[in-house]
Amino acid sequence: MDLLTIGIILLIILIIVILLLVFWGIYNKIIRHENRIDNAWAQIDVQLKRRADLIPNLMETVKGYMTHERQTLESVTNARAAIMSAKTPQEANNANNMLTGALKTLFAVAESYPDLKASQNFLSLQDELTHTEEKIAYSRQHFNDSVLTYNNAIETFPGNFFARWMGRKTREMLQIPEASREVPKVSF
Amino acid sequence: MLIEDHIRKNKRATVIICIFMLLLLFSVIFAIGYVLGAPPIFSTAIGLPIAIAYILITYSFSVQSVISAAGARPANPQNRDEKILIYKVEEMSLAAGLPTPKVYVQDSKDINAFATGKKPEDSIICATTGAIQQLNKEELEGVIGHEMSHIKNRDILVMTVTVGVVGAIALIAEIVFRMLFWGGIRGGGKSDRRGGGNVIVLILAIVFIILAPIFSRLTYLAISRKREYLADADGAYLTRNPEGLARALEKIKEDIPDDPKGSKTVAPLYISNPFKRALRDSIWSTHPPLDERIKRLRSM
Repeated sequence: MDLLTIGIILLIILIIVILLLVFWGIYNKIIRHENRIDNAWAQIDVQLKRRADLIPNLMETVKGYMTHERQTLESVTNARAAIMSAKTPQEANNANNMLTGALKTLFAVAESYPDLKASQNFLSLQDELTHTEEKIAYSRQHFNDSVLTYNNAIETFPGNFFARWMGRKTREMLQIPEASREVPKVSF
Repeated sequence: MLIEDHIRKNKRATVIICIFMLLLLFSVIFAIGYVLGAPPIFSTAIGLPIAIAYILITYSFSVQSVISAAGARPANPQNRDEKILIYKVEEMSLAAGLPTPKVYVQDSKDINAFATGKKPEDSIICATTGAIQQLNKEELEGVIGHEMSHIKNRDILVMTVTVGVVGAIALIAEIVFRMLFWGGIRGGGKSDRRGGGNVIVLILAIVFIILAPIFSRLTYLAISRKREYLADADGAYLTRNPEGLARALEKIKEDIPDDPKGSKTVAPLYISNPFKRALRDSIWSTHPPLDERIKRLRSM
């Protein structure tokens, strides 16, 4: 074989190697982005559970003070009960939205109870719950960001070919329902 | 410009500047080879390992030295301000999809913060007591978002490697200079026949070696500034609230630093260079001018 033929063969091998490396990269990228979405989804649930877990403590703290706010207190405990007994994701989602609304009302009502607001216990629970609401919001944001990155990867060239071959479809972002759009805002 | 456009622009700029930096390193190595009369392979074989070893060593010692130099201590959840800081770091790490970094506090009246750590899973964010007391929740969130972006973008790695390259170039240039000084010049190989032209190239090579450390430092500072803009933009993306960081930067502008602690090498990791206030707005500064940063944030 002469030099030219050897050169061409080497060039072809080089091109094939480079293409394989590129394919390897794209394939793994799509998998990684997809795993990120699943992780982000699980993270939202972790934060929602954390919020539900704080409720019993909150109830203990406020019930001595807010004795005439039965309806407000009940809507919180009912919402939590609904979360605990939810069987489908849709039920859980609705229950969580109910809780967001109920908490918003509770903290607004608590403003007119100076004794409660002076309680160290209450203040630190309020901090913790506000913090948890922020975490829920940011987890949802991260989920949507992950979906965006993934969708971009599988819709743009050359990822779209891989996606078709791998059987991957675009994912949907979370739509935040109106009720939970306003996070309970507490002034510091 | 949208936040996303800022992010793309800054990333592109970083890549270009890094390529320039690498070319600079290789040029220095070749220039030295030329001056010493050694073939390029030889000088690369010696120069490259020196550069790599230098970079690896500075990188391994980066974290602990930063923390001790700053005199930082872990944040105390019993203190309400520090508790809020811990909360903000947790929230930003969720937004960024990263494990929560450890939270440290530096006792200082200045408003400042920095991030460090060898990898995102093993990082630290530290804020001054001045920052947590004087910034409100939105502003603190903006600052922490900026620091979290430094971690996410692996800026600690980028900047340490860049510092390493700058150091390596300076080191190599220093060594060569001494060799020339003591050993005399041997010229560019076998081309003595070409006389005059050779000498000019030789002089150019020597001048280049002398100027290289300056060029590399300027390049390092340019990279540092671009990464700062990128961290601003990425941080704004995390919080979806550029105004928070903009206001925090305004407060920093008003704040007169009175006790900068810590080693100068970590200056680029702070949100605002605590040391060289006078040089704040020149090509010699690690951070872009505060006014320009505020302007860009408000245009997002």
